[in-house]
Amino acid sequence: MDELLRDFLTETTEHIEGAETQLVHFERNPSDASLIASIFRLVHTIKGTSSFLGLERLERVGHAAESVMGMLRDGVPPTQHSVTLILAAIDRIKTIIEDIGKHGSEPPADDSEIINALEAYYAAGSEAAAAAAAAEASVKAEAPAPVSTAPEAPEQVMPEPVAAPAAPAAPAPVASAQPEAPKSQPKAEAASAQPKEQRGQGGGNGESIRVSVDTIERMMQLVSELVLSRNQLLELARHREDDSIKTPLQHLSTLTSDLQDAVMRARMQPVGRLYANLPRLVRELSTSLGKSIDLITEGADTELDRQLIEVIRDPLTHLIRNCADHGIERPDERIAKGKPERGEIRVSAAHEAGQITIDIADDGKGLDTERIKQKILAQGLATEQELRAMSNEEIYRYIFEAGFSTAQVVSNVSGRGVGMDVVRSNIEAIGGSVSLSSVEGRGSRFSMRIPLTLAIAPALIIEVAGQRFALPQTSVVEAVSLGKNYKDLIQNVQHALVLKLREEVIPAVELRNVVGLNSGADDDTNDKLAVVMRVGTESFCIIVDGVADIQEIVVKPLSASLSHLKVFSGHTILGDGSVVLILDPAGIGANLGIEKSTDKKREQARDQGALERRRLVMFRAGSGAPKVLPLSLVSRIEMVETSRIESSDGRMMVLLQGRLMPIVPISHEIDMSRSAYPVLVVATETRSIGLMADEIVDILEEKLEIQLTSANSELIGSAEIRGEAVELIDVSHFIRMADPPARGNSTPQRVLFAADEQVLRDLLCPAISACGYSLVASSIPADPNEFLQQVSSFDAVIVDADAPVFALPSFQRALKDRANASLVPLIGVSKNPTNRTTRIATEGGLAALLSRHDRQQLIETLAYTLDAAADAKTSNMEIAA
Amino acid sequence: MSSAALAIPAASDVPTAGEESYFTVFAGGEAFGLSVLHTQTIFRITSVTPIPLGPADIVGLVNLRGRIVTAVSLRRRLGIPVDELQNSLAIGIEHKGENFALIVDEVGDVLTLDASMKVQIPAHFDPARSRFMAGLYKVGNLLIPALNIGALFDFAN
Repeated sequence: MDELLRDFLTETTEHIEGAETQLVHFERNPSDASLIASIFRLVHTIKGTSSFLGLERLERVGHAAESVMGMLRDGVPPTQHSVTLILAAIDRIKTIIEDIGKHGSEPPADDSEIINALEAYYAAGSEAAAAAAAAEASVKAEAPAPVSTAPEAPEQVMPEPVAAPAAPAAPAPVASAQPEAPKSQPKAEAASAQPKEQRGQGGGNGESIRVSVDTIERMMQLVSELVLSRNQLLELARHREDDSIKTPLQHLSTLTSDLQDAVMRARMQPVGRLYANLPRLVRELSTSLGKSIDLITEGADTELDRQLIEVIRDPLTHLIRNCADHGIERPDERIAKGKPERGEIRVSAAHEAGQITIDIADDGKGLDTERIKQKILAQGLATEQELRAMSNEEIYRYIFEAGFSTAQVVSNVSGRGVGMDVVRSNIEAIGGSVSLSSVEGRGSRFSMRIPLTLAIAPALIIEVAGQRFALPQTSVVEAVSLGKNYKDLIQNVQHALVLKLREEVIPAVELRNVVGLNSGADDDTNDKLAVVMRVGTESFCIIVDGVADIQEIVVKPLSASLSHLKVFSGHTILGDGSVVLILDPAGIGANLGIEKSTDKKREQARDQGALERRRLVMFRAGSGAPKVLPLSLVSRIEMVETSRIESSDGRMMVLLQGRLMPIVPISHEIDMSRSAYPVLVVATETRSIGLMADEIVDILEEKLEIQLTSANSELIGSAEIRGEAVELIDVSHFIRMADPPARGNSTPQRVLFAADEQVLRDLLCPAISACGYSLVASSIPADPNEFLQQVSSFDAVIVDADAPVFALPSFQRALKDRANASLVPLIGVSKNPTNRTTRIATEGGLAALLSRHDRQQLIETLAYTLDAAADAKTSNMEIAA
Repeated sequence: MSSAALAIPAASDVPTAGEESYFTVFAGGEAFGLSVLHTQTIFRITSVTPIPLGPADIVGLVNLRGRIVTAVSLRRRLGIPVDELQNSLAIGIEHKGENFALIVDEVGDVLTLDASMKVQIPAHFDPARSRFMAGLYKVGNLLIPALNIGALFDFAN
């Protein structure tokens, strides 16, 4: 293609992007004449250049659009109709330009319809007819009519300074740019008004030149080589005594790094480029959906690899469409809910920890969790039990599953053709992720996390049969050293290898077989590694000879003659200058015959529960033997900062993912001055609770055989794992502590814990109060009457039956004769209750005598006796009545 | 080598219409013409990364000053046994946007060939070889086949 034409095409495409945004802003702010003037100039330039290049169709459409825009510029008020016409004309120009890009010339087609509509509007306008008349005339003119415009004589076009695409990125305060803008006026509007100003200034500070991507790529390659040479030089210099070389070499080294940085930066483009089309999109969505939606864009100057910008464009559009479609309510609904009539979609980009996050948030109705759950159940993606254990965020994740139509879940509007699974796979394909959070009635928020650049990715450099390969780290889950356990971990089942890892059975394959490198020396004794990867929802592993290194690699696609090799996705040059091939996890997965099936995976996961060996979390909590918990009970492990833990009603809580989660310390020896504690999150039927441990020791897969059962309700018993005694935690105990059983009466029942021994109080009080009783601990007064006085103000009393005062005859008599024995039950706890002491105690006025070590029994008895006492109270009252 | 026996014009000669300059390259003792228009550089290969599962005639990938090029052995392409790859001589060629390195035994001088020197490729030539020939040229008393770059770097089958 002609160089001149190519330049024109790229330049024009950018110009049009700018014009669209400005037009939408113009429609909202008709008083801003400078906006229309700048749009007019753009179209004028397009028209002029196309006539110069002999592009007739472009020129005619441009001319007609220019006339209408000229009217607006000269003060005719813009109407919905005129803006729609101009947008249609610009669309047509865009289509023609795309076609020229494809075919190298203008494809023949008839533009008379749009030209006539524009001309009719122009004619009506110049006759100073009313806007309504103009609209009608143009509607009539919609019918095809012969082209009447003669091409205008070519004009001399002064090329404008090319505004860098970076221009919209220039942050500008809202107020200064558009003082009359309403409160919700997007910042980006102000920002995009910026290029106009810059253009007006004639490009003083923002000068830029157009450089082809190839040139930048070549610079990247050369810089990489330069870095390599520098490293070699540094290596040489290290072994020399000669100091004279060191200073200049150091300088060279810094310069090289800076240069590398600068070239990398040249590839970057502001996210603002993505934003350019959005106002138009939202405007069209508002019109077609009959909703009023404001678009707010933030962080337009966040820079991203230009390649990635193109990749995210579609997912972003889809998510915005989704927000407008399913999120934002109709204006009447909004008013009814007391929300502002105009909905709001906020797109914000930010640079976070080597990644870019782009959030798309709306203030609409949010997601209907119940309906999503129903859908999950209906599709058999999870069981009811599993659902209960899930946080909302985990539930929302299903929206991104293939075949999980959001349209049916959230609203009835559908037929977009693209599902959320496509959004997810697009984002994951570039090593990013997408998540969703939502507050019902308040709105939802999609978050896309995207790597800064596609070109550079962390990769494992693995070795097999003496050759090195790069494996992108994004899909690697873990690497398991097989070592001497090769035969245990890898099994040959039906001529296929499987890796038995913890509870899971993972398809495995020798990489040397995948790539056909059978060097003959098949030594299993070598310290091989199994690298577990995840592609979509499937896991599989490849067996390699070793991991040589982890490096940031510059990914280069395979050349055409090699692109048929599906197991490789590209190649790269390593730091030592050698070329390695980059393995494609998806390709290897396909090679293994692994399909993307979610159902199969879930079934498998359930079956594996039957395996004898259990995956256990081993951790320490307090002194004593390490504790274990089956991993199946733990939904996840979180590090919780102590500063985030709040204490309320004697219980510890932490706000996690928007919900309060009770925290139960496994050991009472907690040091709140420690900055953070690992918390094992255990899901109960209604919610999650966190068990606070001191440290996580390991996750292991072992047979668990309880050898000593425990009287302590915290523990199920002790077992031996790898020659070490461990204690198996009884989760139900801790759940009870966090989640006391619901009681009918709203006021907690008052329980007195009377014991002289501090140790005993410490031992039992937390468990009792965890059950929701209002507990008062005190010592036992020596005077029995004083004690009875005390007792009468409680619903139940737990008393240390081993206390010396209990042995006093006066005390025993007082207890035996007390009047309210049936109304306020007295429960005794003893170090070592025997049948005899129990009998004596019950005869002596105690409801029960229990072991002080059996909390569970104590709590159950307490609940039971309280119920009995409550019954007695009601019957007493009935009698009194 | 035998290239000295050929009538070779000076490299600076600007070919007139119908004329084209060719490098003489050697593989297995045979001389071939390779259009200079295609060649970018001549270099020695220090290390090659083999491509498992790749086409057999592709020797591997080579780092040519920061650019990854696909190395193709002319010997393998023509069915001549290959002995040593290390330190082989390669010609950097760009074809359809792809960078290739054609590994040859030796590079001789530049020839100017024109259409008048072209003769029909005899029908009994092995098709496995004749498909890599863009034409056969009579240079003095020698017949030199010109290499067909398109076929040489086409690995579609």
